[in-house]
Amino acid sequence: MEPRSDLLYILTELARALAIFVVAFYLYCRSPLFRPLKTEWLEPKARLSLYLFFSGIAIIGSHLGVWLPGGAVANTRAVGSTLAGILGGPSLGVLVGLTAGAHRVSLGGYSALAGAVATTLEGLMAGLVHLHFRRRGTPERLLDWKLAFGITFLGEVVHMGIVVLLARPLSEAIHLTQVIGPPMILANSAGAALFMTVVRDRQSVYDQVAAASSAHSLGIAARTLEILAKGFDATSARALAQVILEETAVGAVAVTDTVQVLAFVGQGSDHHGAGPIMSPLSRQAIDGNELVFKDGVKDHFVCPLHSGCPLDSVLVAPLRMEGTVLGTVQLYEPRGKRFRNMNRSLGEGLTALLSNQLLLARYQEQKSLLVVSELKLVQAQVNPHFLFNALNTIVAVLRKDSGRARELLIHLASFFRKNLKRQADLATLGEELEHVSAYLEIEKARFADRITVETEIDGSLLELKLPTFTLQPVVENAFKHGLSHMMKPGVARIRAYRQGAAALIEVEDNAGAYQDPGDQGGLGMRIVDKRIKNLMGTDFGLTISCVPQELTRVTIRVPIPEATA
Amino acid sequence: MIRALLVDDEPLARDELAALLGETGQVEVVGSCGNAAEALPAIRQLRPDVLFLDIQMPAVSGFELLAMIDPEILPRVVFVTAHDGYAVKAFEESAADYLLKPVEKERLARTIARLREGTVGPAPLQLAAPVKRIPCLGHRAIKLVDVAEVEFVRSSEAGVYVVCPAGEFFTELTLKVLEERAGLVRCHKQYLVNIDRVDEISLGDNLLGVVRTKGGQEVPVSRRYLARLKERIGL
Repeated sequence: MEPRSDLLYILTELARALAIFVVAFYLYCRSPLFRPLKTEWLEPKARLSLYLFFSGIAIIGSHLGVWLPGGAVANTRAVGSTLAGILGGPSLGVLVGLTAGAHRVSLGGYSALAGAVATTLEGLMAGLVHLHFRRRGTPERLLDWKLAFGITFLGEVVHMGIVVLLARPLSEAIHLTQVIGPPMILANSAGAALFMTVVRDRQSVYDQVAAASSAHSLGIAARTLEILAKGFDATSARALAQVILEETAVGAVAVTDTVQVLAFVGQGSDHHGAGPIMSPLSRQAIDGNELVFKDGVKDHFVCPLHSGCPLDSVLVAPLRMEGTVLGTVQLYEPRGKRFRNMNRSLGEGLTALLSNQLLLARYQEQKSLLVVSELKLVQAQVNPHFLFNALNTIVAVLRKDSGRARELLIHLASFFRKNLKRQADLATLGEELEHVSAYLEIEKARFADRITVETEIDGSLLELKLPTFTLQPVVENAFKHGLSHMMKPGVARIRAYRQGAAALIEVEDNAGAYQDPGDQGGLGMRIVDKRIKNLMGTDFGLTISCVPQELTRVTIRVPIPEATA
Repeated sequence: MIRALLVDDEPLARDELAALLGETGQVEVVGSCGNAAEALPAIRQLRPDVLFLDIQMPAVSGFELLAMIDPEILPRVVFVTAHDGYAVKAFEESAADYLLKPVEKERLARTIARLREGTVGPAPLQLAAPVKRIPCLGHRAIKLVDVAEVEFVRSSEAGVYVVCPAGEFFTELTLKVLEERAGLVRCHKQYLVNIDRVDEISLGDNLLGVVRTKGGQEVPVSRRYLARLKERIGL
């Protein structure tokens, strides 16, 4: 071939090499080994792939170069070592540079050594830039095509300088740089920049897929949260499987606990269904607490139930709570339909999400159990002082008026029966007042003329729903800490009235002895407030106001439902 | 006959105990009181042999009342309580006698037997609470004066008076009790002063000092107590 040396020719030839590079870049970017900016990036396997690929690029760059008279080659070798340096750091840049350099030397020519040294030096330079950005914590800047262009541009200028320094005779070297300098600087810089644009395009495809799958996950999360709040059983499992099937559009979805299939929806549900776990894959996932995947290409799902089962690939992901396997979620695809990677990672993420939701559900269940057990405690904790004083009062009354004593005993019985029996969540205001009145009858007998009780109740509120045990602890508190300590006559007032869409129930005493009990005491009152807020919302609950020595007023605020409003 | 005074804020509880005591034929109930303010003068005037004392009472508890009684006229004490795990344990440790409400006849008979034998232990003064509020006679009502508000206390033929910014109030408590249990400081045979309310002490020419209180009151200081007063103030 007759060597040609005009600028346009060299540039066209180098551009042809770049076209081949772009195809190679595209293929390499798609390979699973290439994941720039991921944490596992630059592990030995990824480094090896970088080394091999870019050494290959650099060597091809030498081969596809334009041979000039005297054995010089205008080439795109620098693309390989520079990109290796940018992506993999100085050692990788140098290594690719040395490899490609050795190859170049083996081809011979008066500029071979200079070219080899320059390629290695360019790899090193790019590697130092790599180090710089990693240390600054902005490695994503390395993928900027302008940076790649700039580094390569600079590298090639240095390359030309080295040719002048090392290649002999000097006059030919100077002439050579004049001929090959501009096209090589331009072509190599463009090549490196092109690579980065390929990477960026690839990245944005990933981002779109990731965004789509995040949206999917969030959609599933929102729908399953409500389902799992009710616990993990056959009913919630069925709803769960249905949601996953709709959102992922896989062939079939199954949910199991550790011994049986709770739900199966989708293809194959004619022979798959609730029942004991048959599949060894499920057992493997449960017993080994591990993810099991049969891709339908190398490994196949073999239906243990029916030979004509359409299902061929499966992902079995364990559901865990605090490290213990509770069951599995299984995604199936039929024969002839590829198990999409997106669904695979979705399935994996999904089980983590569901496990968290189960944990949350259990936490909330425990929280409400705690309130119930606290309530039981308060109920059981009938003030012994009240009990024995009441009995003593009745003993005293018995001496004078057995009929009255009988009445008081019946009030006491009624009070205790209500204390022990009422376990429903809600009671009407009327029921609450009855409970309180049994208590008041006894207290009035105990304190005789020292205490009077006034009530003022809006009759239309008697059917109003309150958490059980709302009123009694408040009234008891007024006696225990207020009225019973007064030397002057005590007055208790119980009022219930409307205020807009809320009902206010006030318990007031004229002792004015309320003191904030802090963290220690006031358990009864705190529970009253907590239960109202839990059941009716945080706008409602208890407020306490006190004018020392004059009055203490506890106001219970609850909503009036539309129907009774 | 054993002469008994009952102190309980619940009238029915007093009636019941009086009836039970009457049935024994060995006890004469000389009086019954509903609170500390009534009990203090009754103890002084009636000089009962034994006090049946309820613990949970309005404003001034049984333990506080115990602290307010002049030790010189302190009768034997039987505590009466409906339920008080902690106090019952303390009584058992101190060998004081106590009854639980409702009172059993047999248990009461044992108490009376012990009273007759004279084996009811002394009232456990370690249970006596420090006096933080002084029950006084106000206008037609009982006033509880916080010790922190007291400027000084004076004693005269007419009785003991607590002086505070709100005025002067008669109290049944003696100077001795107020000095020992309320932390007021003796500055004169007939005066106690509240150290926290002392503004200045000046020395007169006849060796009698004068304390000026923050409320602008003047309280005489006798030579006998001057040194101790100075010491308490930290001079």
